Amino acid sequence: MACLHSWKTFLTGAIAVVFLALLPLLADMGDDTMNLLIMLFIYIILAESWNLMGGYTGLYNIGMAAFFGCGVLITHFVLIAGAPLYIAVLGGAVSAVLLAGVIGIPTLKLKGFYFSIATLALAEVLRITVGNLFPRTVWMPSEWFVNFNFIPRYYLSLGMAVITVLIMYILVNSKLGLALFAIRDDEEAAKVSGINVFKYKIIVFFISSFLTGLAGGIYTYYRLSFLPFSQFTPHWTFEPLMAASIGGAGTILGPVLGSILLVVIQDWFSLNLGQAHYIVLGTIFILMVIFSPGGIIQLVNKAYHISGLYKVRKKRNRVELF
Amino acid sequence: MFIQVLSYGIMIGAIYGLVGSGLALMFGVMKYLNIAHGTFIMLGGYASYWLFTLWGLDPFKSIPLVLLIMFTMGIVVYKIVFSPLVKVFHVGERIQNSMLITFGLLLIIDNTVTWLWTSDVRSITTSYTGSTFRLYSVNLPYNSLIGFGLALLALLCLHLIINNTYYGKSIRATTQDWEGATLMGINVDYTYLISSGVTFALSGVAGIVIATSYSITPSGGLEWLLKAMIVLVLAGEGKTKGILAAGLFLGVVEAVGVSLVGSAYREVFGLLAFILVLLFRPQGLFTER
Repeated sequence: MACLHSWKTFLTGAIAVVFLALLPLLADMGDDTMNLLIMLFIYIILAESWNLMGGYTGLYNIGMAAFFGCGVLITHFVLIAGAPLYIAVLGGAVSAVLLAGVIGIPTLKLKGFYFSIATLALAEVLRITVGNLFPRTVWMPSEWFVNFNFIPRYYLSLGMAVITVLIMYILVNSKLGLALFAIRDDEEAAKVSGINVFKYKIIVFFISSFLTGLAGGIYTYYRLSFLPFSQFTPHWTFEPLMAASIGGAGTILGPVLGSILLVVIQDWFSLNLGQAHYIVLGTIFILMVIFSPGGIIQLVNKAYHISGLYKVRKKRNRVELF
Repeated sequence: MFIQVLSYGIMIGAIYGLVGSGLALMFGVMKYLNIAHGTFIMLGGYASYWLFTLWGLDPFKSIPLVLLIMFTMGIVVYKIVFSPLVKVFHVGERIQNSMLITFGLLLIIDNTVTWLWTSDVRSITTSYTGSTFRLYSVNLPYNSLIGFGLALLALLCLHLIINNTYYGKSIRATTQDWEGATLMGINVDYTYLISSGVTFALSGVAGIVIATSYSITPSGGLEWLLKAMIVLVLAGEGKTKGILAAGLFLGVVEAVGVSLVGSAYREVFGLLAFILVLLFRPQGLFTER
């Protein structure tokens, strides 16, 4: 289940991707399903980029909204200025990386919680300041609304989600990934073993915020009009964080599972429960953190252990990574 | 004019110190980074707001009642949510898990409050709200003056408790080394329990001050959490000693910055101070090492 190394899992993933890619061609899905799927892909990108920091490196970024909102705003203004889409989205991602530099360089040399505090402070400061500077809803030009079409947005977000998962897979199995595991498990030991902790942390922070900024760019392209400061609300930090932790931080499949669960639960709960749906979500989240810190993946692995199927998995001796 | 700005900065700075003290106490003693701290401050504000609206109790006379409510709430929250984490020995891991759990708490409380009492902006308006006291050429509103006095009093009480009581001794021991404290026969779990109650009581006082001088909303807690975190870093990791000085520093920097550049950029000065301190004095502004 949890092992992406086996060819079976790859095949399952490839089939799922091909299915999702063919879906709009085969059947005419309603707008609701389209919206849901696009949001799912954006959540997958966000959750994976949180996971790269929180799950693999042990750095808890609790201000993702800052980088996401930065991506959204910059992409919007570059698009309005008349630049082509890919330049605008890249610009948003690069500006998120610059923001990451401002926060990362002073804090990543210190203890881990300074980083968390700094990211949260950055997100809150940006939310309040952007709210003061741009109090009104911003719009794309009206031709964009006339020619609105779900198909390119669907493929863009699907493609980016797949690329994100592949990037995660490559990173985790590279030398960088090994360094990250060492830093997460014992930073002092990693330092003593000759790993340049600061360098790896900042590289990972740049990659993560780049991906977050990309997700912001895609969101702008999909949403067209929005309240500028609402992209900086803690909502955009909570949900990727919850998706990654509920699914299983520190695994590649976990955040994908978590995002699917979160999007489906949200769609269903917010219709039936209204305001109470966040209360239920928060309770589930706290219970997961207390009783199963490894998320759903851990629960599934435990079930494997109990049912005896685990022996089969153990032969492919890289299973402990997942 | 400059003195008016300065007095404003000092008065809000004392509140920043009060807001930061609860966070610093919990972080220092229990190694919990409480993301929901601002939300608990809002709950304290709501308690005094409803006591005032429904029973007509003056907000400054209802302090003991609010303290009692918040202390009890602290103990209940500790028993239900915080105590499972005491088993986590590694400090970094405990901080991270506590962030996640209090993040969840924030989500739950925010939405429960919105659900029960809507997201209206509320504040307590007493008969003396808006009247000011004129000292030479400086106007001082009564509400802010009382709030300033309350903040100083609460911080003084905290200082006396920590330095002069037996419980304070166990707090200091647990802060330094909780394993050692356990070996010396200190009941660490009990210390944590009381500290949680005291933290909540401190946020109750902060809530009263904020509800009378400013306003409370269900999600307004995050802005105060931001101040509390900046104060925590300025004062140095988990130290309650420099908290008041750090709060005053932040308040004055903000007030002067706003009077020079404009109120739209108010929060940016706090962030700048925060980043500069992290770059050059990560051990805190007022600690020597």
